[in-house]
Amino acid sequence: MRRSNDKVRTEGDKTMRNAKRLFVSLALAVQAALVAAEDKPADASGWPAVDKSDWKCKYCAFQTGWSGEFELGAAYVSDDSYKFGEYTGLEKGGYAVANANARYTNPESANRWDLYATNLGFPYRAVDVDGGKQGSYKLRLNYSELPHYISDSARTPFIGSGGDSLTLPGGWVPSGTTSGMTALAGSLQDVDIENTRKRVGVGLTVPWRDWEAGVNVRHETREGTKRIAGAFLTTSAQMVAPVDYTTDDIEAAVSYAGAKSQVKLAYHFSTFRNGNESLTWINPFDPLLNGVAGGEGRLALPPDNQFHQLLASGAYQFTQKTRGTANIAVGRMEQDENFLATTQNGPLLQPLPRSSLQGSVETITADVKLMSLVTDKLRIDAAYKYDDRNNKTPQDTFSWVSTDSAVAMPRTNLPYSFTRNLFKLAADYRLEKRDKVAAGIDYDIYDRTYQEVAKTKESTAWVKYIARAQDGGDVSFKFAHSDRNGSTYDPLASPTLQNPLMRKYNMADRARDALGLRVTQLMGGTVTVGLDFSYAADDYSNSTVGLTSSDDMSIGGDLAVPLAKNTTFHVFANYEEINSEQAGASSLVSPPDWSATNNDVIGTVGIGLKQKALAGKLDFGADYTMSRSRGKTAVTGGPGFPDLTSQLGSFKLYGSYQFTKAMSVAATYWYESYRSQDWQLDGVTPSTIPNVLSLGETSPNYNVNFVSLSLRYRF
Amino acid sequence: MTKNRQVFLATFLLFGIAFSFQVLAQEPAQPGERILPNPNDPTAYTEKGADTCLKCHDEESEFPVFNIFKTRHAVRGDARTPFAKLQCETCHGPGGVDATATQAMRERGGHIAKVRKGEPRPPMLNFGAKSKDPVTTQNKMCLQCHERQNRMDWQGSTHANNEVSCASCHTVHAPRDPVLTASGQPDKCFACHLKQRADFHKPSVHPVRFGILPCSECHSTHGSSTASLLKKPTLNQTCFQCHADKRGPFLWEHAPVAEDCSLCHLPHGSINPSLLVKRPPLLCQQCHSQAGHPSVAYTGAGLPGGTPSAYLLAGGCTNCHSQVHGSNHPSGVKLMR
Repeated sequence: MRRSNDKVRTEGDKTMRNAKRLFVSLALAVQAALVAAEDKPADASGWPAVDKSDWKCKYCAFQTGWSGEFELGAAYVSDDSYKFGEYTGLEKGGYAVANANARYTNPESANRWDLYATNLGFPYRAVDVDGGKQGSYKLRLNYSELPHYISDSARTPFIGSGGDSLTLPGGWVPSGTTSGMTALAGSLQDVDIENTRKRVGVGLTVPWRDWEAGVNVRHETREGTKRIAGAFLTTSAQMVAPVDYTTDDIEAAVSYAGAKSQVKLAYHFSTFRNGNESLTWINPFDPLLNGVAGGEGRLALPPDNQFHQLLASGAYQFTQKTRGTANIAVGRMEQDENFLATTQNGPLLQPLPRSSLQGSVETITADVKLMSLVTDKLRIDAAYKYDDRNNKTPQDTFSWVSTDSAVAMPRTNLPYSFTRNLFKLAADYRLEKRDKVAAGIDYDIYDRTYQEVAKTKESTAWVKYIARAQDGGDVSFKFAHSDRNGSTYDPLASPTLQNPLMRKYNMADRARDALGLRVTQLMGGTVTVGLDFSYAADDYSNSTVGLTSSDDMSIGGDLAVPLAKNTTFHVFANYEEINSEQAGASSLVSPPDWSATNNDVIGTVGIGLKQKALAGKLDFGADYTMSRSRGKTAVTGGPGFPDLTSQLGSFKLYGSYQFTKAMSVAATYWYESYRSQDWQLDGVTPSTIPNVLSLGETSPNYNVNFVSLSLRYRF
Repeated sequence: MTKNRQVFLATFLLFGIAFSFQVLAQEPAQPGERILPNPNDPTAYTEKGADTCLKCHDEESEFPVFNIFKTRHAVRGDARTPFAKLQCETCHGPGGVDATATQAMRERGGHIAKVRKGEPRPPMLNFGAKSKDPVTTQNKMCLQCHERQNRMDWQGSTHANNEVSCASCHTVHAPRDPVLTASGQPDKCFACHLKQRADFHKPSVHPVRFGILPCSECHSTHGSSTASLLKKPTLNQTCFQCHADKRGPFLWEHAPVAEDCSLCHLPHGSINPSLLVKRPPLLCQQCHSQAGHPSVAYTGAGLPGGTPSAYLLAGGCTNCHSQVHGSNHPSGVKLMR
């Protein structure tokens, strides 16, 4: 028995050895071929044979062993606001300050490990470990938590928020309008809408000669809730849907980097799973007052899906002055979750043509690029990119039930496909050592299926001037003009009739002008001044209904002044204005009879001071940033809208005092205030809209103080 | 645009252009282009290697360099690193001063062991914003080892063509390069991308300003074939990295969603919820003019003081059409199930 086991093991070992041998000889053969192509001896290091007999490196401060720092302390947040804690999860109360970094190094054995633990005591936290034997392998482990607070002012009468089934409290009085729901006020409960991502990642990279192999695995869960809404005919309710997502990703890659050629082959697999297939809820409105409406509704939640992708990239240095690169990525998105029933309303139930979608989208993205220094001064870049989304999902005609309330006209699903061919040609010419002019043309052909425009073609011409000033600083100026024209616009391609004058803005004829100017200056090598300007204007001159024009202008500047050797002062400001105009037609056949404009203005200023090592012991700094926005909306034919406004003020003071070589004390004070006005939310309680039972959220306002005090110990 | 704004804009542009000329018209502080020694010449290197440099560049000097010993570049056991090769001169080039130069320095009263203030420095390659050496020369030095994996697209990339040097973002002499951390990276990018810094202070944002999400989560700064240097082959695939729930395919697709997320969303920041370019209903009405409620103008009359409108308030269009990213429900034709 034992003997045969041994034999099995021996045979197993042999197979392993053979496989290993085969892998090594294959890799060597490929490398030999690549090296032969590069025309260089395999053992050439490429470094000059310098006489290093006297290179003692006696002053070299190589570090062996452990070093690092940890920080422990306490923090306090003065008030609750979901908006303040939107991505940090910080709420009113006390927290532990816990950060650590540790490093093990051995420059001789090449072993090295780094550990970074960040914000362990806060709801957003991360731990990263990476290390290994440098040059032999590198291992990465990471863990992070990222909260997303969406709302803390929502109120709902539904019971079971966070689960996949929502019911109404006993004694609920359904009504045709929210004001008639007499039990509403008494049954409203506060519900926080938030979810948290938790990620675990593992990665391994193994370099070998000119090769490198690596694999990265990531597992992410996202749990909590999000907003959703569900309708019955002309009534609807905003609700809370469960979030229980799991996403797993594996990326594996092998790459080769030689002097002349670089190659990378990779595979990416991603799967998404949802712990809930649907959300059911009881209609809070009176079904009888709304005709034949159902009593229960069911919404589909995001279906499980998969994505596979094979990628290959290569670059080749043909000559000292000519280089080519090519990439191809072939992918497939799949989704085959079982269909839900067409309705919860039994008598209206319709048969399904299939039990699941068998959805499949094939994606191919490929590009080639060639760059050549034709002369010492003239450079030419040419590129071609192909991007194809081929939706192979089978088509069927579905008999369906609108909002669990009425059988509707059967509809065939439209698996949209897109193909894009993009050509680019650019040249730059060096005028002097430090400045150059560049110009180029792009030609972008976009093909779409099942849409109003089968083909759009966009040509762009651009010019650019780039200069680096003699004593530091640089200037760049760019202007681009694009024209997009489509094949015939066929309004009938839409499954529902649109006004024939409607031009959807992603397919409409468009002229675009874009201008950019960027100047930075190192004044005397110390003071840095920067200016930035960008402007883009879109004109949809053939659109009568829909978006007709839009523009975006941004002006910014910054200044950094070193006041003393360890003292820097900086200030920045940015102003942005976004405008758009659109037209509408209130009947299918009429010319446009209303129009709307949006005008958004955003201003941001920041000022800060940083002092390092005052008297060798004190570091401190202060930053203040203020951002204000104002959005004006105007629609003809009726009263206007109040401005949408927001004002964020953020002040941070931080410092640390080193009282021994190893020990220091650190403190932070952070104050944020936020004011906002939003006509979509302000004054809207759950019963304000007669036919929508809303969550009654309010626009956020807060004043939050954050203080922290901690001890840092360095070892 | 109002007249005042046009005047302001014109003034600003004129000022910008004048400033550009002023920047370009400067005289160099040190006249003449430096000629760097040939790195392929083995005799151009110093006699004592790193010790030559470290004697002066200690922690007290104007340019301390000792932090390099805390980095992966100073691992002698890894044959690929600079300290296993030609030490400081692997990256900074040969620092040997030839006999003529030594003589010239002696004649000026200098001595070769320590360069005094005001004396000419041996011509070595310097990196970063203040370096007077051509960006391509600086970058070539880094690329001879690092032009692999995600750096193979560097040449001809937007940053390369705009003469961005590796050292404008990377700090090599630091135990942990700030640009490789989620909290340190944005400041590096904002140094040139001023508008994006302002974007991340808008009411609806991705969490970049809290040091949680680095720019490199979406952007491949070393070059990419995707517009805006995105990390994945397409914009949508880049978004699906974190939003795989919207990947589908769905039975009932919303065409612009399948085509390009940025048709409705801004990636950095917006004054509208969910980083939308505009709010519903006007956003939706840019494409939907079907008879009935999509085609009607919704004015301020639909606010709470008037006749509160389901098309305007709370979620607007999404009060009913909540499945805007697509639905897999057989009855989700109008994205309501």
